Amino acid sequence: MISKSIPLSRNMEFFLDKKRVWKTLLLTALFNTIIALFLTHLGFGGGFMVNLIFSQSIGLSICSSILLGHYFVRAPSGRGHILMVLGAMIIGATAGSFLGALIAGIPFTVILQGRPALFIQMLFMGILFGTVISYFFFSREKISQTEALLQEEQIKRLTLEKKTLETHLRLLQAQIEPHFLFNSLSNILSLLESDPAKGRRMLEDLTRYLRASLTRAREDTTTLGQEMELVQAYLDICKVRMGERLRYSVELPGRLRDHPFPPMLVQPLVENAVKHGLEARIEGGGISVLVEETPVALRLTVSDTGLGITGDRDGGVGLTNVRERLEALYDGKGRLILEENRPSGLKVTIEIPHEGSEGYHSR
Amino acid sequence: MKEVKAIIADDERPLRQFLKARLSEAWPELMICGEAENGREALDLVERHRPEIAFLDIKMPGLTGMEVAEKITGSCEIVFVTAYDQYAVEAFEREAVDYLLKPVSPERLEKTVNRLKEKLAKDPKPRRVSPELLHRLLSRLSGKESPQHLQYVRVQHGDGIRLIPVDEVIYFKAGDKYTMVITREGESLIRKPIRDLAQELNPEKFWQIHRGTIVNVRFISRVSRSLTGRGVVRLKDRPETLKVSIRYMHLFRQM
Repeated sequence: MISKSIPLSRNMEFFLDKKRVWKTLLLTALFNTIIALFLTHLGFGGGFMVNLIFSQSIGLSICSSILLGHYFVRAPSGRGHILMVLGAMIIGATAGSFLGALIAGIPFTVILQGRPALFIQMLFMGILFGTVISYFFFSREKISQTEALLQEEQIKRLTLEKKTLETHLRLLQAQIEPHFLFNSLSNILSLLESDPAKGRRMLEDLTRYLRASLTRAREDTTTLGQEMELVQAYLDICKVRMGERLRYSVELPGRLRDHPFPPMLVQPLVENAVKHGLEARIEGGGISVLVEETPVALRLTVSDTGLGITGDRDGGVGLTNVRERLEALYDGKGRLILEENRPSGLKVTIEIPHEGSEGYHSR
Repeated sequence: MKEVKAIIADDERPLRQFLKARLSEAWPELMICGEAENGREALDLVERHRPEIAFLDIKMPGLTGMEVAEKITGSCEIVFVTAYDQYAVEAFEREAVDYLLKPVSPERLEKTVNRLKEKLAKDPKPRRVSPELLHRLLSRLSGKESPQHLQYVRVQHGDGIRLIPVDEVIYFKAGDKYTMVITREGESLIRKPIRDLAQELNPEKFWQIHRGTIVNVRFISRVSRSLTGRGVVRLKDRPETLKVSIRYMHLFRQM
């Protein structure tokens, strides 16, 4: 079925995959051997073989108990985790001691009745070494998690950089979008004959638009005033071309004129409205660009009375780009909201956090 | 020679006027019997006036120049007009279809006019533009604009309707009458049942993991499995977990 061909994202994993279980058990066995050597060297217990049998059975029992605990209690947190590990160690150490005695051929009575101190010693040592080893695994896990987090952070940063670069490139291309340019030039040429004054005005608009977008694409931040100028120039040109089919208004409160704003966020929305909303509609329609301010947010709305999203469902490509940039620029606090406009068309709102009115007064 | 009639179709008035003016210089006897500002008007004009020639802008509202051409080819000579469409221009060159580039230059127009005059004098039966070519150009014009999968869901928000791009949806959950749409910003309801969504969403991006749950793969952070073989999906940006029923576990199995 479909699943076979679908690549999985890299951070999706089974919590307990077999490979990791084997690796943990193997490492534990290695530690157990070292413990056995160490204890034999100190002259503790009863010779290397007996020590090895005991340390392996106790260590592996503890390890299996902890792994089993993880299996049943998925992702325990904080205190729960410590309690779980402690419980697993007591159970594991007890079970391991008996298992070790069984393998080494030492009767249980020796452990239980003969020398109860030995049993307590073994339990104590099991918990001691168990804690050390668990801590080792715990910090190893923590390190790999931190690494994964770091990597994710790095991927995020690189993606943002790539996106910015892409946007710059796209904008550089967009401002000389051939169809728009040649169509505007044809209009100017025809107007120079029929209505020279109008033709000259359109040439001025086109110059204004080209100059603004050429410089804008290279800058990281502009002002709302400059952005609205660009939008105005673009709409002025479209107005000459579309005539009665296009009505528009651009409203920006005077005090927001110098407010900083990322370049070329509004322009794609306006272009989208013209191209996909109005140009394809016989009777055309209206576009209104509006900037509003609330105590916490700055809201920029581009509404059109065109075909809406059902008429051209692919209008989303440019919008997706704007959404991704907003998210990246404002760390998830910038939003792009799409609404149906009544009776027809689309209303797109950019909402970004407002630096707050205090910032304004202090300036 | 009998009077030759032509129509001009372009949605931009200054451009119609410009072409008309240039034509009156290059071919004073040509009668422009009508101007259309969209594809439908162009079709009407052709039916009403039966012109010998139609100048058609490629990009027009209503019907595009290609769509008009598809319907009228064979009944008159067609000259396409475009500001810029490299792909179409190359195709026209290859298939010897008449076309003009905006802004229309007098030299180029003269060539086209001469060709048309020659053709009409030799053989009054209009040429046909190959339907394959029109079809190809048409599907290229509209093809990229009709994705096969659902792109937006419409949700009631206040007294308006919001369009949420499906890419932003973390998961869909079936309710009694409605389907719940969960995004980073909250939950909303839509009328479309899970069954329909499963059909319409892109299966590479959305997995049905339960009879009543469809999850956006890009929001899955982890999948774990219980002893009973049932899976549990953990999400990015949401605290809750989602159950995977056994019949959908194969989706995660290749790990």
